[in-house]
Amino acid sequence: MPQDLSFSFPLPNGLHARPASHFAELVRRYQSAVTLQNDRTGRTANAASVLDLVGTDTRSGDACRLAISGPDEVQAAGALRRFVAAEFLHCDAPLVAERTAPAEVVIPRSLRAAGLAEYHVGEIACAGIGTGAAVVVSGFEIVDAPPGAASSDATTEAGRFATAVEKVEADLQGLLAQARSTEAAVLRAHLAILRDPLIGDTVRTEIQGGATAATALHRALDVQRARLGSAESAYVRERVLDLEDIAARLLEKLEGRSYVAAVPRLLETSVVFAARLTPGQFLALDPARLGGLVLEQGGRTSHTVILARSRGVPTLTGVHGAAGVGRNSRAAVVDAELGLVVRDPTAGVAKFYNRQVDKLTAISRALLARRDASAATADRQRIEIGANIATVEDATAAFANGAEGVGLFRTELLFMDRATAPGEDEQYEAYAAVARAAAGRPVIIRTLDAGGDKPVPFLPFPPEANPFLGYRGVRFYAEQRELIGTQLRAIVRAAAHGPVKILVPMISRVEEARAIRGQVATAVAAARSAGHPVPDDIPVGFMLEVPSVAFILDELCAEADFFSLGTNDLAQYFAAADRENPRVAELNDPLQPGFIRLLAHLVTGVKRHGRWIGLCGELGEKPAALPLLVGLGLDEISLASPRIPGLKAALARLDSARCRELLREAVACPTQASVRALLESAGRPVVPLLTADLVLDDVVAETKEEVIRMMVDALHLTGRTTDPAAVEGAIWAREDTYSTGFGEGFALPHAKTDALAANSIVLARLRRPVEWGALDGKPVDTVILLGIRASEHGKAHLETLARLSRSVARDEFRAAIRAEREAASLVALVQQAGAAFAVAKPPVGRESVVDGG
Amino acid sequence: MNIVAVTACPTGIAHTYMAAEKLEKIAKSLGHSIKVETQGAMGIENELTPAEIKAADVVLFAVDIDVEKRERFAGKKVVNVPVQQAIKDPKGVLASLG
Repeated sequence: MPQDLSFSFPLPNGLHARPASHFAELVRRYQSAVTLQNDRTGRTANAASVLDLVGTDTRSGDACRLAISGPDEVQAAGALRRFVAAEFLHCDAPLVAERTAPAEVVIPRSLRAAGLAEYHVGEIACAGIGTGAAVVVSGFEIVDAPPGAASSDATTEAGRFATAVEKVEADLQGLLAQARSTEAAVLRAHLAILRDPLIGDTVRTEIQGGATAATALHRALDVQRARLGSAESAYVRERVLDLEDIAARLLEKLEGRSYVAAVPRLLETSVVFAARLTPGQFLALDPARLGGLVLEQGGRTSHTVILARSRGVPTLTGVHGAAGVGRNSRAAVVDAELGLVVRDPTAGVAKFYNRQVDKLTAISRALLARRDASAATADRQRIEIGANIATVEDATAAFANGAEGVGLFRTELLFMDRATAPGEDEQYEAYAAVARAAAGRPVIIRTLDAGGDKPVPFLPFPPEANPFLGYRGVRFYAEQRELIGTQLRAIVRAAAHGPVKILVPMISRVEEARAIRGQVATAVAAARSAGHPVPDDIPVGFMLEVPSVAFILDELCAEADFFSLGTNDLAQYFAAADRENPRVAELNDPLQPGFIRLLAHLVTGVKRHGRWIGLCGELGEKPAALPLLVGLGLDEISLASPRIPGLKAALARLDSARCRELLREAVACPTQASVRALLESAGRPVVPLLTADLVLDDVVAETKEEVIRMMVDALHLTGRTTDPAAVEGAIWAREDTYSTGFGEGFALPHAKTDALAANSIVLARLRRPVEWGALDGKPVDTVILLGIRASEHGKAHLETLARLSRSVARDEFRAAIRAEREAASLVALVQQAGAAFAVAKPPVGRESVVDGG
Repeated sequence: MNIVAVTACPTGIAHTYMAAEKLEKIAKSLGHSIKVETQGAMGIENELTPAEIKAADVVLFAVDIDVEKRERFAGKKVVNVPVQQAIKDPKGVLASLG
C-alpha cells in the first residue's frame, strides 16, 4: 500500500540545494517513486530530483506531504520519516543573513569631509572593505537555440548529449579535486544539477521529438528558467544562474561556442565589476588578488555570493550599472560596511579607507585571539567549553569556533539508517578521526544511546508504550553484549590518538555502573590481545540524567572518573513532563527552583569526591542560565558549536563570586517566576567606562571630523559598537546644535545612542590642535568623548560623566590631563574625576573600573 | 548677592554640569553666595528648596530647554541665559544679574 508522510517543513532556510541533495540522495537509495507535494505553493516534485525539489519553493513551516509507492515503500517511508524528524535539520546551512544597507546610505561626516563626492550604492552581500584596480568581467546571455542546426538521428544526438555531460562532469570533478569546503559544496551542487533527471528527461524527450541535443538543452533550460524564475523565494530564483552555468558548460561542448566570457587574469589586487557572474567565473578569479566584488545581479543566496562570502571577499550586489561603473574607473573601493562603491578615490578618501581597512584587520585579529583564548570568567575562574558533535566535520567546525574539547560525541548517527551494525574498524576510523582532529584536546565519546525513542533497525526491540521510560541506553547493554563490546573496543583503540573518555548514558543504578566498567575492561584486554595499542586508565564517566542518581552519588563516585549532566532528559524525568509535548513545556523548564536545587545537589555531591563534572544539555545554550551554571562550579559546558564564541564572550563578563551568590539566591527562590525575575534583575554585565585602549595619544588629524571618526573607530575596535557610522551620526547630531568645544583647548563631544553596546569614554590628545568651533574660538587639543546608551537606566555611569564634566571646568584637572604621560595614569585621573561611590547591589558582571572605585 | 541658579541642556550630559561648576566657582570668587540646581540626564540634583528660593536675591536660568518645576520661582526676578553663555563667560553672566 502506498505510504503517506505529512510534515511541517523544518529547515529555517527553506528547501535549498544542500538539504535537497541529501534528501534526493536518500530517495534514490530506494526503488519506490517518491513525490513531494507542498500544500502552500501547490507545487509538486519528483523527490529524486534536486532541481525539482528546490523548485517547490518550500519555506520553513510549509505543510508538506510525501507520497511513496513501489516495492520497498515501507522501508523507504521509515527511512524518510527518520530523516525528516532527526537529520534534515543538520543539513541546513544557514544562508547567512548579512546586514543590508538601507536604500539611502547615510554618508558619515568624516567621509564627506575626506572629500567623498560620487558613489554608487548597493546591497551588502559580504561585509568588509576592499580596494584595488577596477576590473570588469563581461556578462553573458544564453540566447535561443541556434537556428537551422541540422538534426542527425535521435540516437546520435542522445549520444552527443551523454558525451557532453561526461566531459562537463570530468571538468567539474577536476575542479572538485582541488576545492575546499564551500567551493566543494557548490561544485557538488553543480554536479547534482548536471546529473539531475529533470534536465536529462526533458532533453531526451525533445531529442525523441527530432531536436538536436543543443536545441533540446535550450528548451530544457527554458522550462526550468520559467519554473524557477517564477518562484516566490529569491533563493529559488537565484538557482537559475547555477542552471545557466551548467547549461553554458554543456553548450560549449555541444556547439563549440562559449556563452560565458573568460575571466581576465588579475595582475594586482583588484575590485571586480560584473552585471552578473557565474560561480564558475568566480572560481576562475585569482583569490589572492580579489579585493572586492561589485555585482548588478545576484542575491544573497546565489552561489557566487556564497562563494565570495566563504572567502571573505567584500561584496555588493544590486549595484545599478555595475559593469559600466567598473569600465569607467581605474581604481575602486568597495565599502561593504556602508553599502557603497567609490570609483577613483581621492587622496583624502583613500586615506579614510586605508584607516578603516587597518581597523577591520585589527578587529578580526582580535576576534581570532579571543576564539583561541581559554574560556574563563572575568576573575579568571576557568570553565572548559566543549562541543556537542556527531561527525568529524562537526568537530572540525567546533574547533574552528574555539571549542576546547568535545564534551559529547553522539555516536547514534553511525548506527542509524543501515541494515547491520557498523564494524569495529569502521567505528574506530570514525572515533579516531575526531580524536586526531581534536589534536590533544579531550574527546568524550558517548556509547550508543539507542532505544525505543531512537530506533536502530538491527536492534529488534518490540515497540514500547513509553519509549523514553523504556529499554534504552545502558539498559540493553547486558543483552547486546557483542554490539557494545565492538563499540567499546573501537573507542579504546581510538584513545591511542588522544585523550578519549567514555561516557555511558541512562545510568540509574550502581549495578549498571559496575557492569559497564567490567565491559570496558574486557574491551581493553581484547583490543590489546589483537595487537592494538590502548592507553591505561581510559576515564569512564556517567550521564546524570535519571533523577534516581541523586541519592546514590557516593556509591556512583566510587565507580566514575567523571560525570556529565544531561539536562534535557534529567528535566523531563524530574518533572514527569514530556519534553516534546508543548502543553507541558512549562513544567519542563529547567529554570525552576526544584530543578536548580537538584543540579546544586548533584554538583556538590560529585565535587565532594573530587570528580570532574560537565554539562551537555540545552541548558548550556541559554544565556540567562549561564550565571547559574558558573555558580554551580561546573568544570565544563558543552554545546552546539555555533554558540561557542558567544558563550565565551558572555563568560568573560561574569564574576564567579557574584554568580555563586546568585545561585544561592536562586536556590532559595520559591517559584519559577521568582527565579526568572532574579535572573532578569541581575542585569547586563557592566564593562568599564574607560580602559587604556580608549586613550589615544599624540593623535595626528587635520579636522574635527577626522578626530571624531578616530575616536569612534576606537569604540569599534574595542567591541563597544558594531555600527560606527551610527555612533558618529549621533555625535554629529549633538555637535550640530552647538559646539562641544568648551574653551581652553578642551572638547567634550557626546551622544546618547543604543548603537553603543556599553557606556564609554574615549580620551584623545592631539599632536596639533584642530578647529572645533569652540566657545572661546581657540582650537582644541584634548578631546573627551562621552557615549551613553539611550536606553540606559543605571545612574552610576551618568553620575560619573556629570562629575567628569564638572572636573573639565576646573583648571587643575585640565592641567593634570595635559601633564600626564601614561595611559594607565590618565585612566586613573578620569576615574578620580568621575569620583567613587558604592553601588548598593553590584551586577553579576564585573564592576566597572570607573564607578567601582 | 544671594543667587540661586538652574542649569540644563538638551542631552543633559556635559553642558549642564560644566556650567554649574563654572558658576559656582566664579560666584564664590566674587564673594557671592550661590546654589546651582542641575537638571540633566540624572534628573534634578542639588534641588533648590522653597526657603532657598525665597531667600535669594535673584534667580539665574542657564538653560537651553524648559526648566522643570518652574512654578517654584513664581514672583521672583529671573534672568535667562543660554547654557553656553554661562560656560563661556560666567563673570559676564553674573555681572548681568545686577
